[in-house]
Amino acid sequence: MPERAASIETVEQFDAHLDGKRLIVCVGPGGVGKTTVAASLALREAIRGRRVLVITIDPARRLAQALGIDGLGDAIIPIDLSELEAQGVEVRGKLAAAMFDQAESMDALMTRVSPDEQTRQGILSNRVYRAMAGSLARSHAYLAMERLHEVMSGDDYDLVVLDTPPARNALDILDAPGRLTRFLEDGVVKWFVTRERKGLAGRLLSGGGAAVTKLFGMVVGRDLLDETLAFFNVFYELRGGFRERAEAVQAMFREPSSSFVLVSSTETTHLDDARALAASVGSRRVALEFAIFNRAYERLEADPSLLRTTVPADLDAQLEAASAGISDPARALVPALRAAVAKAAAANASAVAAVESIAAELPGSCVRRMVPSADHDVSDLRGLAALAPHLATAPRVLADD
Amino acid sequence: MFTGKGGVGKTSCAVGCALAAAAEGRRPLVVEMGHRASLEGIFGSEGPASVDIGYTPREVGHGVHAMNLEFEASLVEYLEQNIKIKRVVRAITRNNALMRFFHAAPSVPEVTALNKLASLVEAREGGRPRWDPVIVDLDATGHALMLLNLPRVMDGLIGDGPMRGLIDGFSGLLSDPKRTVLNLVTLPRELPAQETLELFGTLDRDHKVPLGRLVVTQCPTPVFEDADADARAELAKAAEGGDFPAAQRAVIVAERAQARYARAQAQIAALREGVSLPTVAFEHRPQLELEGLQALGRAIIFEEAGHA
Repeated sequence: MPERAASIETVEQFDAHLDGKRLIVCVGPGGVGKTTVAASLALREAIRGRRVLVITIDPARRLAQALGIDGLGDAIIPIDLSELEAQGVEVRGKLAAAMFDQAESMDALMTRVSPDEQTRQGILSNRVYRAMAGSLARSHAYLAMERLHEVMSGDDYDLVVLDTPPARNALDILDAPGRLTRFLEDGVVKWFVTRERKGLAGRLLSGGGAAVTKLFGMVVGRDLLDETLAFFNVFYELRGGFRERAEAVQAMFREPSSSFVLVSSTETTHLDDARALAASVGSRRVALEFAIFNRAYERLEADPSLLRTTVPADLDAQLEAASAGISDPARALVPALRAAVAKAAAANASAVAAVESIAAELPGSCVRRMVPSADHDVSDLRGLAALAPHLATAPRVLADD
Repeated sequence: MFTGKGGVGKTSCAVGCALAAAAEGRRPLVVEMGHRASLEGIFGSEGPASVDIGYTPREVGHGVHAMNLEFEASLVEYLEQNIKIKRVVRAITRNNALMRFFHAAPSVPEVTALNKLASLVEAREGGRPRWDPVIVDLDATGHALMLLNLPRVMDGLIGDGPMRGLIDGFSGLLSDPKRTVLNLVTLPRELPAQETLELFGTLDRDHKVPLGRLVVTQCPTPVFEDADADARAELAKAAEGGDFPAAQRAVIVAERAQARYARAQAQIAALREGVSLPTVAFEHRPQLELEGLQALGRAIIFEEAGHA
């Protein structure tokens, strides 16, 4: 039995908890380093000996380069970890990564699910489909879902870490299975489609569908109506498979071996988004097990796991002593130095307060972690690996000496 | 219109411009596109906006009105304009499945949103525009492109039907420098800056939308002046010299903040070079108060290239 997340304090407990996971879904606002956290977690588990796949979306160029997936499409590729091994890290498992290219993935998906060449061509050449595949962010959720189903049904990976689109769209992945199922079941599509291929005229005149079809035509115009009808005709044939996979993914999200991780910064706008996201995740009966606050504090102590929220008591004395024999221009910088520490300490204090204030709105069992700001944007495997300890254990807050 | 990645400060810019416009005696309206809570967060307990901002514009304080352009309400409005039989409109809007279908149907949300925006721009009261200006807080970069791409996506798909005239009208509105301006908002960090450079390239190459300002928010301030290099090295050496762990750490913290500043400056320089728009670089403030927002708005509206 995996431990309840709330009781995870030590690295050993964290390891044991993650050993019970097959799927980790990272959700959060844009611009908080969600992809970096997802990749770092995946790398950590690969180092520990598991076969891990991380599916990312639109990663920063340098992160993509670090993972070695820059410029590649949505193929799954193994990540070369020899760089880490050369640095003395013992890598026991394997890491693979895939990056989404939306339009390309959509075409690949349609090709995969089409039973024959005619169906495939019918979809790919349809102008409504082309407009959707190319320009609709919403379709991403279906793709992620299909992709997830594909990799989770195989036995190639012990753990899949899924990065999701920013904030508001992240929930689409939770809703997509249900929405798709309802969409197909509601009969909406049926109104536009007949099992016997009578052609458009026949459909327009046939029974209950006629009124709806006419209405749709009034709203969007006749040509778009025709293309939409054609699209649904083909799509309808595929509905069984879509529904089956959607239900499987829906069920998977709720299994104890799946974990949802909220990633945020401690900035007000991000926290507002994170709060709303946590509430929505909860209302969908999915357990949010971790909340990770990235770039949450400045390291004011040599030990990175210490989170200092005040200016060290002896800083002034030390600065004075250290600057005793130096030139005037150098001594003139001491106030700037002190101000930089004071600013960082104040920012750390408000970050701690912000995390505490959001805690009340997270599930009681949700584990909180704060990750310090890195010196540089994470751009290599080593940088990713360096984040991992902060995911495993919480920093100790130092308020005073 | 303001566009940019999530969390770059689009809402701050929109609200700032609204506050600055209201201070001039104008009647600004901030339109949020499917946002949650960002406006409430800013006006918060101060204004009457601590309750929800909905589809109907309401005053949120300081002469600023705000609304949320919700999909369902805009679809209902669109249907009512185009289908004269009330009973039919009701039949559609009461049918949850059909409403969901329209939400999923290609371009319908974009059409209804543009329809509403156009009518807000055209609305008049007492011989002058009801809203002056209409300030749109676009959801994300992709969303802006979707709206701008709409006429092209629809080209060839709509031969007849009520959409044709509408789409042509939108194209006109979105390319008219007298009525529309799109501002780009970004942060001085690698990923948002890169995305902004790409977005500008796309807009510049493929679109006729008039572009306004490039706004860079959250620009860090320097710890040291650049000329201090020698003195900085001397101070660092002195801190390392004795048993001064806290002082040594302070040097690292300050240098790190300085390096962040330098990296931000490099991103701003790259943005200025790649984006040929007047640039407003706004200083980092952990919490923008209303006054700060208004200053940001004034900078966006009035500053010339390279200032701020």
